[in-house]
Amino acid sequence: MTTATMRWGHALRIAAVLLILAAAGFPIYWMFVTSLTPSAELFAVPPRILPTWSQRDVYEEAFRAIPVATWLANSALIAAGTTVLSIGLAIFPAYALSRFRFRGKGLMGLGLFATQMLPEAMLVVPLYAIFGQLALLNTLGGLVLANTAFSVPVITWLLKGAIDGVPIDIEEAARIDGCTRVGIVLSIVLPLVAPSLAAAAVIAFFHGWNEYVLAQTFISQEALRPASVGLASFVGELSTPVHTVMAVGLLYTIPAVVFYLFVQRYVVAGMTAGSVKG
Amino acid sequence: MASIRLQGVTRAFGPKLAVNDINLDVADGEFLVLLGPSGCGKSTLLRMLAGLESVSEGEIWLDDYRVDQLPPSARDMAFVFQSYALYPHMTVRRNITFPLIMRRHRWWFHIPVLGHLAKRRIERSPEVRELVDRTAGILALTEMLDRLPKTLSGGQRQRVALGRAMVRKPQVFLMDEPLSNLDAKLRTAMRGEIIKLHQQVGGTFVYVTHDQIEAMTMGTKIALMRDGVVQQFGTAREIYTDPVNTYVARFIGTPPMNLLAAAPEGEGLRIGEVVLPLPPALAAAARKAPNRAVLVGVRPSALSVAAADSPGTIAGEVALVEHIGAESLLSVRLAQARTAHEEEGMSHDEVMATAPGYSDLEPGARVGLRPDLADAVLFSAESGKQLAAA
Amino acid sequence: MSQDVAPGAVRPAAAKPAARPDEGRWVPYLFIGPLALYLLLLQFYPLVQELLLSFTSTSLLSPRDHTYVGLDNYRNLIAASDFHQVLLVTFVYTIACVVLAVGLGLAAAMLLDQPFRGRGVARALVTIPWAAPPVAVALVFVWIFNAQYGVFNFVLRSLGFESGQENWLDSPELALPAILITTIWQIFPFAAVVILAALQGVSSELREAAIIDGADRLSVFGAVVWPTIRPSVALLALFLTIWSIRRFDLIWLMTQGGPIGATETLVIKLYREGFVYRDLGQAASVGMIGVAIALLVTFVYFHFTRRAEIAEGRR
Repeated sequence: MTTATMRWGHALRIAAVLLILAAAGFPIYWMFVTSLTPSAELFAVPPRILPTWSQRDVYEEAFRAIPVATWLANSALIAAGTTVLSIGLAIFPAYALSRFRFRGKGLMGLGLFATQMLPEAMLVVPLYAIFGQLALLNTLGGLVLANTAFSVPVITWLLKGAIDGVPIDIEEAARIDGCTRVGIVLSIVLPLVAPSLAAAAVIAFFHGWNEYVLAQTFISQEALRPASVGLASFVGELSTPVHTVMAVGLLYTIPAVVFYLFVQRYVVAGMTAGSVKG
Repeated sequence: MASIRLQGVTRAFGPKLAVNDINLDVADGEFLVLLGPSGCGKSTLLRMLAGLESVSEGEIWLDDYRVDQLPPSARDMAFVFQSYALYPHMTVRRNITFPLIMRRHRWWFHIPVLGHLAKRRIERSPEVRELVDRTAGILALTEMLDRLPKTLSGGQRQRVALGRAMVRKPQVFLMDEPLSNLDAKLRTAMRGEIIKLHQQVGGTFVYVTHDQIEAMTMGTKIALMRDGVVQQFGTAREIYTDPVNTYVARFIGTPPMNLLAAAPEGEGLRIGEVVLPLPPALAAAARKAPNRAVLVGVRPSALSVAAADSPGTIAGEVALVEHIGAESLLSVRLAQARTAHEEEGMSHDEVMATAPGYSDLEPGARVGLRPDLADAVLFSAESGKQLAAA
Repeated sequence: MSQDVAPGAVRPAAAKPAARPDEGRWVPYLFIGPLALYLLLLQFYPLVQELLLSFTSTSLLSPRDHTYVGLDNYRNLIAASDFHQVLLVTFVYTIACVVLAVGLGLAAAMLLDQPFRGRGVARALVTIPWAAPPVAVALVFVWIFNAQYGVFNFVLRSLGFESGQENWLDSPELALPAILITTIWQIFPFAAVVILAALQGVSSELREAAIIDGADRLSVFGAVVWPTIRPSVALLALFLTIWSIRRFDLIWLMTQGGPIGATETLVIKLYREGFVYRDLGQAASVGMIGVAIALLVTFVYFHFTRRAEIAEGRR
């Protein structure tokens, strides 16, 4: 292969990568551009491709016209609650699945896997009934409890994969030093899987942040409405100014994207460590 | 014919020169060993021969063809990896057949069903089958042809790797430390197999290793490398008896050659507290040494142990005795003489001597070492280069 | 080979002991107990409820009044004129999503496996679609696919497709493709990332051996790369399949399963039956069918995986 063909091939490859990145980023970019497009130009043909900065105040507008702050705050609360509860519930099972051999281990693993097949949309009704009986409807706490049920299997699997990678000698040394099992889990193993823990936290957080169906069904009080439900009411309708809606959409999307960019390496590592097993 | 010529071959990784201006002429049918410690550039050089690494500068010639710009498959060279690199999802037979199929590959073989059938047909054709069967027979792999690599032992996998290389009937065989992953006993056996292979198959072999015993027993020519530069290129005998610098002298031989600090005095050589006679040629060279500082290389086998304070001996005290059966290795701490052993952590006053049989000497015993300077080699203490050899 | 593989992808520790003798044999159960109970209550109990519900006739308005109807819901479901279409849409949607996402993901992964400047940044940026919330994705894509003002049609027109006035989400023929484009945009980064990780496991020496044996790039892929990554890709396909059968948010928000059921997958039908037609029993039966299909797919996967592993001598 001559150097010339190699250079051409390389250039082509870079072009392909740029194309893929452009496709991946375009809709987000479009949200951004549209949010800054003045009303007059929103329905213009050809549509505006590059942002104009003259409309920066659309974001202020958005906060005034729409309860964006409330929405985002609710989303954040739900997400935070889901994170804390998911991780809290997942730590010890993840450790047990990684380190212990016990009857029912396979069943537990299978059970966790099986939950992946259950659609939220199907379980909405029984869950509505259950939470109704527990008087947890229309509460953020109830939503957190429900969300956690759906996110915790993935979190557990991720943490298990991470714990698999921790050498067992360290634990045995701690054991000899008199540390209890629980102590080992919390003070030795957890710090060692900190990156995966962070990734798991991000996954759980955004599971709660992104969640729509349960929130839609459980919450009817305006004050408790999260951004996912609020934004959903704008999808496809054009009576509210599109640029305002896009502004809200962007505000809702950016935290998710930014955090994810930081931790995606660890997410992948955790997932593949688990899936590479036979 | 498969002679190899390396001209000014260099490979740079940024500012670092992994391979620095190599010039070698390898005759057809030669078994060349690239020897050296890890990081010396021998593997890089081998890979450059294969085409797996690019050449920063210089030329590589195979007979009358310049090959350094050609892709690996066009060079008619086969490569045996240290880790064997067998295709894990293919049977032994398929592994060995693979290069033959690739040679007959057409662009339309990539079309799913059609290509598959075409490849099968080649696989089943009589010439291909016969060649593969014959190769397997030579390597005693016939019973394993339908097994997968993961079910084979290390030695068997090594032979499959050889088979895959042989079946192409290449002009040159390149081997990158193929025996390093085997245990000691297996290694000795496989060494013999590879030598036999070389005799049977002909062709030029280029073999990389860090094990000097492998190099000495297998190679017709050895190129000892250090930091990307060839220190010496010659037969095993030449390198052993006529090392071109102190590095080579210390690398070859177990235990390695001792290097004693010395200075010419009169017609002889002063080593420590004693002056010993030298053959005239060596004495003359010693007198011409820069700064009149000389290192005299004496093999442990050339240091005989005599009673302390005997005339013509170098005084010392036994530090360690290792019995290896037919002889004993003695580490002797010298009283006044000094050595110039560069390796890390070595003190400059210990030499190795061999005594026949099971020595009765104990650590602490005072002895006198009598060097036989007939085969000694003289080096300049300043540059390390050889001044003269017996 | 890449150097920026994330930490955590380490070989597992050696033998895993059971609980130590002095700890009590119930320690593992103590560890998994809370979670097991939690999931039993909030996942499996509702599942059982749905199963039972599917044998009743229950209205959304009075969800506690159940009338036992046996298999009627299922019979009605299968007899319904649109059932075949729902299955077909689900099937097409799932297959297309998996095949195209894996294909695109594979291409992206292969590209991102080669060294080039800024590769780490590229690898991070490519995950953006996966990170975006489905509601926001629906929002912006509906706008992008807007017939008159959407940028998608604009681009089509600029590229010379004169009919660039397509009514994507309102047209029975184009709605599913639009949904597919949106879905694949969201999920291909996941595929890319998983396959990229699998590619790190491909031995470079093996690649070199194939090159020396005379293999061209495609043959190297077939002989070395693909056999190594195949198990990961299979598992990836399994998850993508199950998730596609489950996917609700995106489709519901963009088309509600319309127009005329062009994008009505099983899950959409489920929701529609339950919350639009208010027939909870019927909805439950649809849900059960979905779960059954997911289970079937999983069994098939494990069956073939086991067969492959036996053939390769791993079991």
